[in-house]
Amino acid sequence: MDTKSLINEAKARFSHNAAKSLLKDKYESKLIVADQGGLWKATPELIGFLSINTNENIVLIDNHNNPVLVNRVQLYETLHKIYTDTMNLWLTEWKELETKR
Amino acid sequence: MERVRDKTMTRGILLFAFNIPNVNYVEMAVETAKRSNYFLNLPVTLITDNISAGSIKDYIFDNILFASAQTENNKNNMPWYNKGRYRAFELTPYDETIILDTDYLINSDRLLHIFDCYDDFCCHNSTSFLMQPNLGQEYLSNLSFQTLWATVIAFKKTRRTQHIFECLEMVQNNYEHYENIHKFIGGVFRNDFSLTLALRIANGHIDNKQDIIPWNLIHSGRNTTLYKNTDKTFNTEYTVMFDNWRNGKIRKEYTIIKDCDFHVMNKKNFVEIMK
Repeated sequence: MDTKSLINEAKARFSHNAAKSLLKDKYESKLIVADQGGLWKATPELIGFLSINTNENIVLIDNHNNPVLVNRVQLYETLHKIYTDTMNLWLTEWKELETKR
Repeated sequence: MERVRDKTMTRGILLFAFNIPNVNYVEMAVETAKRSNYFLNLPVTLITDNISAGSIKDYIFDNILFASAQTENNKNNMPWYNKGRYRAFELTPYDETIILDTDYLINSDRLLHIFDCYDDFCCHNSTSFLMQPNLGQEYLSNLSFQTLWATVIAFKKTRRTQHIFECLEMVQNNYEHYENIHKFIGGVFRNDFSLTLALRIANGHIDNKQDIIPWNLIHSGRNTTLYKNTDKTFNTEYTVMFDNWRNGKIRKEYTIIKDCDFHVMNKKNFVEIMK
């Protein structure tokens, strides 16, 4: 029996809560990146800070609470790309699942 | 610590599999090894005993190391040979090793990112259940620590990790003593509990954030059944069916998971979806 028939047969309902939580786990893990000797999470706050700062090099506290001297532009570009790619994939998968009943 | 990799260091997966009457762990290890090769491009070493090794079919491990199963553990009135994980340090042929439970279902290259974000040891401290997003974290007991999970452990061979594995052995050998101190439900030896205690002891009784994998371990837990959505050899998409008990009635719920690694607690179900 294929999975579609199985779902119909069992009169199963799609759990949007479970799907939402699963996608959060899956895609949040992809926002974490090691770069320039530190561990970072690509968040809008960090990306925003990196974009408005004007120094070439800055010291940031990484996810392990260590201060790390980083090249600002290089880190910005890395985090911005990861954030954009991951969020686009997250949205695409969420749209696929959102319509299920 | 600067995370720059020495390019000459070898990396690999280490699996422990000792068959018991109702569960063929070696068969599961073979499937996990195939997926490790495919998704992670890493070699796999199996630690098993002579009898269990007889059930290896259609697969050649990078190494098979023979060890005697430590047989003095039982779960649900069945033998459960899960002891002896501390031997990973001495037995691993790799400089950087990921120890996996044989029922960890690899569907992506996510595990490779561990190598970028750890110093010399890491494991999971937080979990999510596939169909029960609101379940809290597990603690050893009401009086003790949040459980660390031995399902995925990554380590390099260093003096510190040697201490951690020595502590694992010490906790295993004195498990009843730790049961009494931490007031957890005893009887069955659990690697998760042993790891929780050993890592704290080795770290001087402090939490070391750098020893934690920075994402959740996902479990497929009780009342949950997985079905594969395609017949591809390395399928990565599954329908997750869940029996949600409410007011004495079962309501069937489902979701879909794809390209995401997770731990299948139901061994029978793991074997079924690998067929």
